[in-house]
Amino acid sequence: MNNAVKQTLLASCAATLVGLFLLPAAMAKPPDLSGVWIPDVKDQYRQEETNMPPWQPSKLPQIEHMIAEQDAGRPFLVLDYCLPHGMPSWMLISHNAFELLVTPGRITMLGEVDGNRSRRIYMDGRKHPDDPDLTMHGHSIGHWEGATLVVDTVGVFPQAYIAVSEAVGIPNNGDMHIVERIHLTKPDVLQDDLEITAPNVLTAPWKTSRIFHRYPKRHYEITEGECVQEDLLPGKDAFGNDIFIPNPQGAYGTVHTLK
Amino acid sequence: MSFKIAAFSFLLFFGAGNLAHAHHSNSAYDLDHLQTMGGTVKSVNWSNPHITFTVERDAKAGEAASIWVFEVSSPGVLTRSGWTKRTLQPGDHAVFSYAPLRNNNPGGYLLRVTLPNGQELSYSLTPPEADK
Repeated sequence: MNNAVKQTLLASCAATLVGLFLLPAAMAKPPDLSGVWIPDVKDQYRQEETNMPPWQPSKLPQIEHMIAEQDAGRPFLVLDYCLPHGMPSWMLISHNAFELLVTPGRITMLGEVDGNRSRRIYMDGRKHPDDPDLTMHGHSIGHWEGATLVVDTVGVFPQAYIAVSEAVGIPNNGDMHIVERIHLTKPDVLQDDLEITAPNVLTAPWKTSRIFHRYPKRHYEITEGECVQEDLLPGKDAFGNDIFIPNPQGAYGTVHTLK
Repeated sequence: MSFKIAAFSFLLFFGAGNLAHAHHSNSAYDLDHLQTMGGTVKSVNWSNPHITFTVERDAKAGEAASIWVFEVSSPGVLTRSGWTKRTLQPGDHAVFSYAPLRNNNPGGYLLRVTLPNGQELSYSLTPPEADK
């Protein structure tokens, strides 16, 4: 067999292998990630214990102070003013569920706790805007790599925390970039592998993972529980209409008054 | 499930052995000295981030009735645990099991409620395995 025939055969074999193994994977239908996902809170706590972000040295005294305050029963409130967790904390520390919706060109995550908690992940091939309006959850674009949803997020408020717990975290302080690789490890177990680059607070990109569960035997839903209602009570106006009125806060007993 | 078992489960869940490290903002509550008290619900604030119940503690010998505030998990968690906004209503009398505030103010983190008919109300951040 001459060299030309050998090369042709090798090329044919290579093409067949590509066809057998790579193309079906690339063309396979992405997994259905839709549904209500509930965080694995025990795993969150394990992660908090074992995988701290690579904080810049100037941030360590702040972290140590927060831990000391936590130990003293005076937890710092990472979550305050009824603001959303923001990214990446929503994925890292929330104890509440989110609903993932798949629609043409877009994946949407809807959360609990407040009325405007959503992540829009554009799947239509668009790029990030050159100068995005900053938001708590940023601007996200995604694509499939086989069975993995890869999400790239920029444009997050500098005030959004990189939180390791509800009492310990540092604002990202700007220019944060988050890449998530979201995939199923079992039919109803979702793993989000995050790589967080935050040059103003971290010395290197921080890699961490979180787990979420779907419960097909129960039709769990995300629930409305408007955070601002904590400060309001049902009441009446001068015309007898049902309205919300300010809720006089006591000196203690709610998260607002533990400071 | 007895209160002791429930409390033990709570401690296991929240990793009481590791409470010296940063976990969550429940450190304002003393999980090592769980308490119970009888009282009447005065108001329900069913909102995030945490639901609160205002409760008038029963008067007892030498101690007048007093107002307590109990914080409890979120509307989502309690809903998935079978509660509704009407499960506990103003005027309901019950026994409240709670982790008291460390600063001795009259408040706590509510873990379990026992109604007069013996029904026990609790909750879990994680749905049961059987629902998977």
